[in-house]
Amino acid sequence: MGSSTKAWSGLDRKATAVAEFTLRQYRTRLSTWVVLASCVVALGTVLLFYIDAMNDTVESVDNDGDGLFDEDGPDFPSSVDATSTTFGYDDDGDCRESDRPDGAKDTNNNGVVCDAILRQNWFGGSAILWDNDVDEDPNEEYFVEEATHRAFLLGYGKLGIVFLLGIFLPLFLATGLIRGEMTSETMHFLLAKPIARGEVLLYRMLGYLTLVWPASAAVVVLSALVTGFAAPGEGVFRFEDLGIWLAILLATWLALLVYGMLFMTLGVMWKYGIVLAIPFAAWEFGMAFLSMGLPSSPLLRVSVIGWCLAIIDAATALSWSDQEAFIAYTTDYAVWSHTVVAPGESLGFLTSQAPFEISATGNIAVAILVLLFQAGVIWIIGQSLFKGKEIA
Amino acid sequence: MMPDLGQVGPAAEPVVQPVPEKLPAVVFDQVGKTYGRIHALSQINLAISGGVTGILGLNGAGKSTLFNLLMGRCKPTTGQVRLFGIDPWQDPTPYGRVGFVPESEKLHDWMTSFDFVTTFARLHGFTRDEAKVEAERVLDFVNLKEVMHTPIGRYSKGMRQRVKIAHALVNDPDLIVLDEPLTGCDPLARTTIMNVVRELGRMGRTVLVSSHILGEIERITEQIVLLHRGQVLALGNVHGIREQLDRIPHRILIHCSEGKRLAKAVIDMEHVHGVMIPSEGVVDILTHDLGAVHQHLPSVLIEGGFKVTRIENPDDDLESVIGHLVGGGGR
Repeated sequence: MGSSTKAWSGLDRKATAVAEFTLRQYRTRLSTWVVLASCVVALGTVLLFYIDAMNDTVESVDNDGDGLFDEDGPDFPSSVDATSTTFGYDDDGDCRESDRPDGAKDTNNNGVVCDAILRQNWFGGSAILWDNDVDEDPNEEYFVEEATHRAFLLGYGKLGIVFLLGIFLPLFLATGLIRGEMTSETMHFLLAKPIARGEVLLYRMLGYLTLVWPASAAVVVLSALVTGFAAPGEGVFRFEDLGIWLAILLATWLALLVYGMLFMTLGVMWKYGIVLAIPFAAWEFGMAFLSMGLPSSPLLRVSVIGWCLAIIDAATALSWSDQEAFIAYTTDYAVWSHTVVAPGESLGFLTSQAPFEISATGNIAVAILVLLFQAGVIWIIGQSLFKGKEIA
Repeated sequence: MMPDLGQVGPAAEPVVQPVPEKLPAVVFDQVGKTYGRIHALSQINLAISGGVTGILGLNGAGKSTLFNLLMGRCKPTTGQVRLFGIDPWQDPTPYGRVGFVPESEKLHDWMTSFDFVTTFARLHGFTRDEAKVEAERVLDFVNLKEVMHTPIGRYSKGMRQRVKIAHALVNDPDLIVLDEPLTGCDPLARTTIMNVVRELGRMGRTVLVSSHILGEIERITEQIVLLHRGQVLALGNVHGIREQLDRIPHRILIHCSEGKRLAKAVIDMEHVHGVMIPSEGVVDILTHDLGAVHQHLPSVLIEGGFKVTRIENPDDDLESVIGHLVGGGGR
């Protein structure tokens, strides 16, 4: 046994002792249970609305008025090309089999009869141009439910779990990690031990994470199960969303880490650290919406939530490779059919491009590194503040 | 009967690096501490190693500040504090050899004393199992073994004080610092704690114990540091202070309904230098020999048939000792 092994085991003993102590302290506090329960109740209620929406049947519409319902489409590409792609299929064959000349069968002027193309529109988004009688009466139930499901997953995951859970839990559970011990005069016991103040900070954080990481994982797993079974799709369980859920979990854990570190530090800084946390939370709330409305904004790079949501955006591109075309389809469909409210509008708002023009996994890796870096910097600031603090 | 710490066996291998033994446990070198414009401590020079030392001082004399500096909770404004040769503000390593009993009565009430001591023992680098053994040992030492699985919240003040002492002894420390350990304790707990402190001193540990009651410290140790307004007023043997005290007249206050008649009765007593009646029903006797007057007083009171409600020795508190030392002449 070398001395380094000994130092490690000593470190481990201190770390687990403080973490375990922190965890037990949480367990004895009523506030912990109230905070956790209110999160579960709030998110559970939203899930109930989702289940309700999934059980509502969408009425079929005879879009072309030919007496047949949903006889054509929908068809859209599984991947998006930059400018002009031929895709789509005239399911009922009314375009291909019509007597019109070929010129009249190629109304979108791409040289191919009876198809549709996905084009970059003037606003940087995508739009679909159909040849006449291609997908003129698609199945509403299919894509309205699909769009509602995807929109729910992103909205619930990004705002409900990553943002609200990610900021609400540390606001109430991390702010007092150090400050609570100071005000209750029990910090003396910790500081009179051969343990550096920076270590105390770190191990208290560890105890906090031992509570909030499994708790948030439970929430994510339960939500994934509920939506997986209730979602539209072929099989009993929708496996294709699991990548999104994994990203939601990862983003939530990182949010809990960075926010927790920050709020704990604010608690070290000032007795009423929670007061400082509130304007910060408001800023992050604004950033959460900005990341959806204007995902290219550089302001997002000076936020925590911007990086967290980038993970989900990148995962969306991985899991739902047809997302952009799908949004275009549902949005444009509503425009010409005048029949249903476009679920594509909200889905389009909730879907954003990952920040960098690199692969989705590259974007995820960068976001993780940035968030870990943020946590590290805050820890360094926090421990130097704590080190300089006179605790009389 | 106090169990002997030495017989229980040595504590498990400490993770802390050993510090050379020759260094004094506690050194204050020209230490001053100011809070804004308030001088909490100034020009403190102390080197303490071995034995029990009482830190005496009135409330606000600087005892707590002294301990805060020693425990690395505050940074000295001037001078240097050294704990086993190391600056405690910079480096927590020396706390591996220190046990600290804070003045605050606040404890983690939700924990049992066994869990409390075990948890903090692990911060000294003990494994969970080692910590449990050590916790049981020290809780037995302070006579809390029977109730060690009861939450601390249900303990009496004296028991809580003993939990703090037990937790401070778990690492078998070379230096034990007790901040006002007797405050709020009942006489039985007081005696137990005093015995523990004396026992620790006998075992060769360095013990620092603060108090604002001279009588308490006298029962524990002879070696004292007397703090007053942030400075060391006197240092050394408590008998020195006693002797100084004996050179100035003592006072005895007797509360009695017939003050004037009592004054006449005691003025003729041997060793009595003067009698005053500061207020109706109170007789103030001045004497150089407290013992002799106390010996004869009962018979005088009984013979005269006086109804005495209370007898006080106002000089026998720290305030008047300090008053005499500072003023040079007394009241």
